Amino acid sequence: MSSRKFLLLCRRNTSIFSTGRRTLATVTAASPSSLSTPVHYPTPPQKPKAKPKLLTSIILNRAPIITPTPTPFERAFYTYQARLRRVLFNPFPYDFYFKQGSILEHRFNLEERKRERLAFGPQFGVADELDKEKAAANKAAVEQLAEQEGESEEMMPRTHPADEARDYKSLDRKGKRNLYLLLQENEGTWRFPQGDVKKGELLHQAAQRDLLTECGEYMDSWIVSRNPIGHYRPPRRAPSLGKPKPDEVAFFYKAHILAGQARPNPETVKDFAWLTKQEIEGRVPDHYWDGVKDMLSEH
Amino acid sequence: MLYYSSMSSILLPSSKRVAIAPTVRFQKRCYARKETGMDPKKETIRRALYPGNIRNKPTPTGTWRPNVGKALQHAIPSVQAHETIERAWLLHKRHLRKRREEETERKYECMRKAMDELASIDSHLYMEANKPENPRARSPEEAELLKTLKASEARASDARIRGLFPRELRVPTDTPSRSGWKYDWKPFHRPI
Repeated sequence: MSSRKFLLLCRRNTSIFSTGRRTLATVTAASPSSLSTPVHYPTPPQKPKAKPKLLTSIILNRAPIITPTPTPFERAFYTYQARLRRVLFNPFPYDFYFKQGSILEHRFNLEERKRERLAFGPQFGVADELDKEKAAANKAAVEQLAEQEGESEEMMPRTHPADEARDYKSLDRKGKRNLYLLLQENEGTWRFPQGDVKKGELLHQAAQRDLLTECGEYMDSWIVSRNPIGHYRPPRRAPSLGKPKPDEVAFFYKAHILAGQARPNPETVKDFAWLTKQEIEGRVPDHYWDGVKDMLSEH
Repeated sequence: MLYYSSMSSILLPSSKRVAIAPTVRFQKRCYARKETGMDPKKETIRRALYPGNIRNKPTPTGTWRPNVGKALQHAIPSVQAHETIERAWLLHKRHLRKRREEETERKYECMRKAMDELASIDSHLYMEANKPENPRARSPEEAELLKTLKASEARASDARIRGLFPRELRVPTDTPSRSGWKYDWKPFHRPI
């Protein structure tokens, strides 16, 4: 479902009256006093409560690179279903795909008989009564072919050396999980990249600019949408030094990193890390965590 | 094309036609007919392309494997076991679905609260955030930048369309790529 549909539902909350626009259909409460006394415009309300200072924050996500590992139950179920398919499907037209008497046909037959025995038991996948010498000769030819072809391409392992080394700056670590960029300020607290909003700038533009200033330009990032995905209000601090600081609200924007690495600005940021949701919980202050945890993906 | 060859004559009146039971013979299609003395290669191709269409077995294509009964007995422990496995699988899928839906619900709530907060703080920013993205629009800065860039760079800047997913966002695979993550990416400035 697109974010636009969500917000069209939200718009129901704001009514025309709140913005002060009057149409032909608006009705004002008619009071008897207004007819007798001269019309006087209402006094402007008292100074409205101060607008909080706007900040934008980015949740920069490295999407999973690898598919999730199937659980033992899932693997067992898939094997069971494969066995059922093997029972119920049409027989394979091997005479169409393989030339009669060729080495590839012999190889296919050997492999197929092995698969049958694996699926159903030792009674299945038994070779037809052939000349023993012929069968041996075929097998030898197949083995020779395997030697000639050589080893098949080795697949890359699903765990990366960065996993064992616990290199939190690496973007190859935890291929199955979602990783988020967390920065450590000079004071030592961990938080998401953050910055203020300039005058006349829109929030998503401010988010983009803040990401570039705090984390460098050497990342190919993509901010998903104009809409914020969440907000956080830091707890009010008691006004100890004269004038109390204005309230702050940080609006979070979701972004994906497609290539590159973070090079944080050393003036504001001491260190950075790419962490999963559970690892973030350990590093970040409690109140911040409560505000932020629902925006992050579990997996 | 199927030929129906009826034994009864076509010219008989309708009542009489009902009385006579017409024998309808299904003829095999002429291109699927087995010809003697044909090239065996062509025979195999013909048999693969045009399987038999005489429907005298319960399967749609009329072909089971030769020992289907015995194989089925070895594959399925029992009817009750099969049904239990089916129910367990559906339950497992339900658990996954519920977990995913709960997470989506939580994320949506965060979004909704954020938009409500933004509406109460600044209506202009709220309106702007709600505006739909036009994929064909180019901001004035982008238009100006296009004039200064080379052809290849202009194409690269146009390729990232606002409101659409970038093509560099890869689908997860079973094993990672050989080169791993691309750490050295040359910065390409895009107007905000």
